[in-house]
Amino acid sequence: MTGWSGLLARWPRSGRRWSLAPGARTVAPRPAPAAVVYRWDLDKTYLKSDFESLRKMMRVPFERAEDKIDEPGVVALIRALKTSARQEQRAAFVYFISASPPQIGRAIREKLALDGIEYDGIVFKDQLQHLVRGRFRFLREQVGFKLAELLKARIAAPPGAVEFLFGDDWESDPIIYSLYADVIAGRLEHDALADILVRLRIDPARLVEIKALSHRIAPADAVRRIFINLERRTPPDRFRSFGARLVPTFNYFQTALVLHEEGVVPLTAVVEVGRSLLERSAYSRERLRNSLDDLARRAYLAPNVAVSLRRDLEDAGLLPSTGTLGAWPRQLWRRWRRRRTRPLVRPPITTAAIEYPRLIDVWEASGSRLGGETS
Amino acid sequence: MPVIAVDAMGGDFAPDEVVKGVARASLGTTIECVLVGDEHRIQKILESVSYNPEHISIRHAAEVVEMNEPPKEALRAKRDASIAMGAKLVADGHAQALVSAGNTGACILACARHFRAIKGIRKTALASVYPRQTEYPGQDQLALILDVGATIRCDALDLVQFAVMGSAYARRVSKVERPRVGLLNMGAEPFKGGDVLAEAYQRLTTLPGVDFVGNIEGNDVAKGRADVIVCEGLLGNVVLKLIEGIADVVTDVASNAVKRRVVWRLGMTLLSRGIREIAHLADYTKYGGAPLLGFEHLFLKAHGRSTARAIENAVKVAAKAVRDGVAQEIAAGIQALR
Repeated sequence: MTGWSGLLARWPRSGRRWSLAPGARTVAPRPAPAAVVYRWDLDKTYLKSDFESLRKMMRVPFERAEDKIDEPGVVALIRALKTSARQEQRAAFVYFISASPPQIGRAIREKLALDGIEYDGIVFKDQLQHLVRGRFRFLREQVGFKLAELLKARIAAPPGAVEFLFGDDWESDPIIYSLYADVIAGRLEHDALADILVRLRIDPARLVEIKALSHRIAPADAVRRIFINLERRTPPDRFRSFGARLVPTFNYFQTALVLHEEGVVPLTAVVEVGRSLLERSAYSRERLRNSLDDLARRAYLAPNVAVSLRRDLEDAGLLPSTGTLGAWPRQLWRRWRRRRTRPLVRPPITTAAIEYPRLIDVWEASGSRLGGETS
Repeated sequence: MPVIAVDAMGGDFAPDEVVKGVARASLGTTIECVLVGDEHRIQKILESVSYNPEHISIRHAAEVVEMNEPPKEALRAKRDASIAMGAKLVADGHAQALVSAGNTGACILACARHFRAIKGIRKTALASVYPRQTEYPGQDQLALILDVGATIRCDALDLVQFAVMGSAYARRVSKVERPRVGLLNMGAEPFKGGDVLAEAYQRLTTLPGVDFVGNIEGNDVAKGRADVIVCEGLLGNVVLKLIEGIADVVTDVASNAVKRRVVWRLGMTLLSRGIREIAHLADYTKYGGAPLLGFEHLFLKAHGRSTARAIENAVKVAAKAVRDGVAQEIAAGIQALR
C-alpha cells in the first residue's frame, strides 16, 4: 500500500492517533493450540527468593506465605494464562516444579492461594532419601530430578498438548528445559542423552529412571518456548546457542509479549501484566516501552509484530504515545529521513540443533553453574 | 528520573566502552539513558554484558564524527552524526543532558547549534574537576577549573560570568555551601596580568554571591585555596594538560627507577600504598567528565580515553546536575549580575 491509499489506510479510527510507522497494521497472533501446559520453576522464577548468602538461604524454610515475595508481573501473567484459556474454551494446565524440599510446601501453597493462582500440580524434591542414604552430593543435584519429573509429567499430559516452560538464569533451567524439549521431540538419541547426563554427574539412579521414561515417550515437538527470567542479569548472548526456542526475558512484560505472539494470551493479558508492573512494582510507561524495543532488537518479536503491538499498547495507554495528529508532516519528514538512514534488519536467531557437549563446555567456562544447585 | 542522551560512537574506545558504561549505569541506578549511534553495534555489545533494558533506549545514528576530523566540516557533511543527533534529542526535550567522549570541538559546536544559551550568557565555559590538596578536614578533594577549552580569549565580563557559573556548579554538584573563587594570574596583586585580569579582579571583588579569594598563582592551583578557579580557555587547557603531563612523567620516572636499583625498588615498595592513594585520587574515571556550562541544557564531556567506569560516572554526574538544577542556579546567578 503506497501513496494516498497507504495514508488513508492509516486514518485514525475513533479515539486513535495517526500512525505512520512502517507496517503499522494489526498483526494476527498465531492460532492458539487446543491444550497448553505451562511448567514453572518456583525460586527466582515465581518467587523472589534470596539465596545470596547462607544466612538468607537458611531463612527461606522458615518464611511464612505472607513474607514471600513474587517476581513483578508473574501473578498477573499466570492468572491471565488461565483466564484467557477459559474465555476461549481451551484447556490450560499450570504446574510448578521445584528442587526445594517438600517441607516448605505448605508455605508455598499458602502463598499461591494468597496470590489467587489456580494451578494443577506442584512437585518438590525429596531430599530426605539422600540424607538417609548419606548421599550428600546429590542433595544439590537438580538436572536429574527435574528432567525425570518433567518426563513423568509429559507422559501424564493430554495428547497433543503444547508446552511453555519457565525458569531462571540462576540454575540449570536452560539446559534442563532444552534437554527435555529435545528428548520429547525425539531429537536426542537415547545413548547421546545418557552421555550428556553422565557428563552432568547426575544421580546414577536417576539416570536409569530417565532412560526408562524417555523410552515411554511418544515423540512430539511439543515445547514451543522456554522462557528464562534474567533475574541475575546474565548477558543474553550466553543463551544464543540454545536456539530461538529459548527466550531470555528481563521481565514478565517481555514474556507476555512473546506469549501473545504465540497466540496463547490476548492483548488484554499483555495490558494486565503491564498494568500490574505500573501499579504494583513502580514501573514507568517508558520502562515498558524500552522492554518492548529490547525484545524486538533481540529478534524475539518479528518487526511488524513489534510495530503493531507498540501501536496497540499505546492506544491502551500502557506505553507513552509517540505521535500526535497535528504533527503528521513532521512524522512524514522523519520517516523519509529514517528510510535514508534506517539500520539493517537483524537476521533472526538460528534454529540449528543444539550441540550439547559443546554447549556444556561453553556454559561451564562462562561461570554459569550446572547440576549442583538448590532451587 | 532524568533521561540522559549518550553519544555511543564518541571516544577512543567507542562504542564498546561507552555502551558497557551505560549498561553498568542501567544496573546500578534508575537513570534512563538513550544511546545514540549504530543500533546494531550497540545492541551486539549490550547483549554481551549484563544490562537492564528497562533503562536503556537506542536512537540509530548512521554517521560518526571521528576524533581527528575538523569539527565544522564534519558536522556540515554528517547531518546524522551521533553527536548532532544526541544534541538534537536534548534540544527537542527527549533527554535532559548529553554525555560524549568524542571530538571536543564537534561536541561544543553541536551543542552551540542545538542548545539555547542561558539568557545573559556571553560565552559558554568547559569546566573540569581536578584533585587538589585539602586545607581543612571535610574539604572536597576536587576543585573546579573553568574554562578549559571552550573559548580562546575572554574579556573581564566573561571571566566574571565564569565565576558565577563555576560557583553555581560547585554549590549544586559538589555541595560546597560557599565555594571560594580564585582568578588564575601571574601574581597575587590586583593589578597583575594586564587590563582584562585587573578589571575582572575589580568586578569580582565587588560581586555579591561570589566568595572571591583573589588571584591564584600557578603554584597555588593544586593547593586548597580556591574551590573554583577562573581563567580563559587557552590558559585553562594548558594548566589541565600540564597537570596530566606531570602525573604521567612522575609515573614513568618511578617505574624506570624501580628497574634500575634494588634500593629504589625497596623504597617504592614501601611507598606503594601512598602511591596507590595518589593514583586513586588522580583517577579521572571517577570524576565523570567536564561540564559545558552556560547552556539551558547540560553537556558533559567525558575524557576521550574514557572506560566503561568513566562513562558510568559521567552519566551519574549528568543526572545529578540535572536533578540538582545546575542550569537554573546559573540562570539565577546571571540574572542577579544584570
